[in-house]
Amino acid sequence: MNRYRFLIKKISWSAFTILFVLILNFFLFRILPGDAARAGIHDPRLTKEAIEKIRVRYGLDKPVINCLESVHPVKLGDCTINPFETQFFIYLRNLSQGELGISFHSNRPVTDILGERLWNTILLIGAGQILSIIIGMVFGIFAAWKARTVIDYSSLIISLVAWSLPTFWLGIILLFWGSNHGLPIGGKMTPGISSYPLLYQAGDTLKHIFLPTLTYTIVFMGEYMLVMRSSLLDVLGEDYILTAKAKGLSTFQILKDHALKNAMLPIVTIIAINLGFTVAGAIQIETVFSWPGLGGAIFEAVVRRDFPVLQGAFLLIAISVIIANLLADLTYSYLDPRVQSEQ
Amino acid sequence: MKQKSLYILVLAALILSACSGLGAKQPVTMRVGYAGSPDTLNPGAAVLAESYTMFGLVYDTMYQLQLDGTFKLGLAESMQVSDDALTYTFKIRDGVKWHDGVPLTAEDVVFTYNLYANTEDYPWMADYTTYFESVEATANNEVVLTLSEAIPNLDSQLVFLFILPKHIWENEDGYEFENTAMIGSGPFKMVEYKQNEFVHLAVNKDYFGTVPKVDELIFQTFENQDALVQAIKTGQVDMITEMPNTAVATLRDDPNVEVVTGAPFAPGVTDIIINQVTPENCPPGDGICTGHPALLDRNVRLAMAHATDKQKIIDVVLLGLGTPGTELLPDGLGIWYNTDLKDYEYDVAKANQILDDAGYVDANGDGVRDMPDGSRDLTFRINWPSDSIDSPRMAELLSEMWGDIGIKLEAQAMDPDALTAACCPAFDFDIMLWGWGSDPDPSLLLSVMTTDEIPTGSSETGYSNPTYDDLYTKQAVELDQAKRVEIVWQMQEITHNDVVYIIPFYSQNVQAFRKDRFTGWIVDQPKVELSDITSLGIVAPVK
Repeated sequence: MNRYRFLIKKISWSAFTILFVLILNFFLFRILPGDAARAGIHDPRLTKEAIEKIRVRYGLDKPVINCLESVHPVKLGDCTINPFETQFFIYLRNLSQGELGISFHSNRPVTDILGERLWNTILLIGAGQILSIIIGMVFGIFAAWKARTVIDYSSLIISLVAWSLPTFWLGIILLFWGSNHGLPIGGKMTPGISSYPLLYQAGDTLKHIFLPTLTYTIVFMGEYMLVMRSSLLDVLGEDYILTAKAKGLSTFQILKDHALKNAMLPIVTIIAINLGFTVAGAIQIETVFSWPGLGGAIFEAVVRRDFPVLQGAFLLIAISVIIANLLADLTYSYLDPRVQSEQ
Repeated sequence: MKQKSLYILVLAALILSACSGLGAKQPVTMRVGYAGSPDTLNPGAAVLAESYTMFGLVYDTMYQLQLDGTFKLGLAESMQVSDDALTYTFKIRDGVKWHDGVPLTAEDVVFTYNLYANTEDYPWMADYTTYFESVEATANNEVVLTLSEAIPNLDSQLVFLFILPKHIWENEDGYEFENTAMIGSGPFKMVEYKQNEFVHLAVNKDYFGTVPKVDELIFQTFENQDALVQAIKTGQVDMITEMPNTAVATLRDDPNVEVVTGAPFAPGVTDIIINQVTPENCPPGDGICTGHPALLDRNVRLAMAHATDKQKIIDVVLLGLGTPGTELLPDGLGIWYNTDLKDYEYDVAKANQILDDAGYVDANGDGVRDMPDGSRDLTFRINWPSDSIDSPRMAELLSEMWGDIGIKLEAQAMDPDALTAACCPAFDFDIMLWGWGSDPDPSLLLSVMTTDEIPTGSSETGYSNPTYDDLYTKQAVELDQAKRVEIVWQMQEITHNDVVYIIPFYSQNVQAFRKDRFTGWIVDQPKVELSDITSLGIVAPVK
């Protein structure tokens, strides 16, 4: 019973947060200065009439919401107009039909654009996350187990260095190194091989994903290692570990049966947070290796004032962060039942 | 046992896949690296130059732009113009087919021109079809285009009107159609397109002109320019269309890579904009007109021009890859560029003398000159778009150079749209660093200095000169090319004398190709554009 109440409470909070993000998302981008209809285009061929046409086509000529003509600069408007004819309402109506709008820049549905890029990002960041979690945790456990030895200190130093490396710098270094060793440095597949056998394509993608994944893994494994190590060290200092030792259990048994489960709590938090942001991609890595993921799409959309793409991408990120947090909460309650009863 | 057989199976599959990938007769594939991607493949809605590159390869046009800036007939084999220059009769080539096998007829041309002229949402097309009165197909291969006014530059208007297949486009919304299959009639046809990843084209063996020697042409997007340079160094691509100027020296040292520079195919210009709109010309409603009054004085502008060391700007900002600019029309415009103009020489003493003589002296001894009436000093705001890489360095250099003649600059980068809002027609600035993209025809760049464009927002300077305005109207209808060139040269002389703009430089296109892969690139022309059909249509693999 208690568990269901906990579940319902968590889920309803998540739903509320998503709703809040939906509304915030809309206004957030309209505070940006500048006119989306002509962002970055400076050309005498683009006449005033043409700009007006573009504004009408994308509904930018309509007031943002009743009583508010525009957000940047803030301009109050008519309160008596039909609320269904405002940008905000049209945005909500489209959303309720699962439509994220049409990109101002490329004229394509936002769902198409984000759809193709989402999978690329999940592929890249997913692989990087899994690798960095596994390697980081193994190193962390090992370091805590061999605490205050050469092994501990050297893995500590390596992790700290890896964690503090600027991502783009490491990426460029690896790009130069890799390209001299025959590794491809751009895109997710060699263009023009889509008619080749699937296995060949998979192998080609593997080659393309190697360098960005390596970059990602190096940068992120340090964090996991450090957290794993310190939380495991905390647990190993507890009295019940001493008891276990006194019972004559081996170090391996102590780690496996007594220490690890308790030491997992902080790691679960970080994994959940990082997994949530997986969808956002890694803008720097995606840019360095021209990986066609969401991070790159967000960057381009900001430059071009492509509100619909930005709204869609942020919505996607928000939802994935919220869901990841929800999962973390639920995992917590499993790992540490006290969490539920405190509610 | 079971596992072992699985291994063998996987191994066999790997070998098989490797063989089928490599064993078949390899097509000749040219890989081009570039740092962009088309915004859309719909020729009416597209804005970016990358899109136009693809259109030029996949579609035909009535006229083709040559690297020397002239035009030659493309899809039409002949053209006849009536005596009043209002009626153009084009004869379409025989036997031209669309990539899907359907014959191309005059009906397609008529449909296309009407589509461009009538779809109001197309950003550029209104400009190219302004004088279209009617288009008719008088025979299966004959198109008659009637104009509302006799204009001298129809060729330059038709050069970007890519002919589309009626049988595909008539069922689609002209603006929303994504056109990813891109059925055209040009030398290359579309195979596969992934936005922001690659464009994969294949040769059109039935092309009426010279059939290209490469079988496949792939444009691959690299989102950062260092990767682009590394890609050509390691042979992952055969040609790159752009690179940072900082990479030129290292690439020149590479024995397998040839770096080429020249005027860009699509002329563009970087300019120092001086706000000189007078209170009388301040656009009612939109105009804020806060320009510094000293900038209305030709002497001040002239002194600034004399105090601008253009070669230093080129050396520092462009690492030497540019030529000093004189007028708004760039040298890449060929015959239209006035080569007689002598630029204001860099001479600080002379600049100081001009300001002294005109009464701008430093009355309070703070190192900055003051207005003759002492009302304010010569401190100018200077702004540029925040996405520009070159402008901050240029602003810094100008601060130093103009500091030598007692002019102080307050420098600030601005968001491009905020800059647009401050620029025109608001005229809420003193000096701006910006630029124009333009057409092969001079009319467009000349128009931005006319009085008529002050309220529209196209005029950045607010310059107004009735003589210039008259000449602009004249050149727009002068049918004799030699006479038109004369007028255009005269107009450049006027604006140069009045120091309407200070043009720091004309930048160059910097591209590179692998010498060990393909040969036959056109690099001996005034303009360089290796991704144009003029090169891609003839290059052949190195044996």
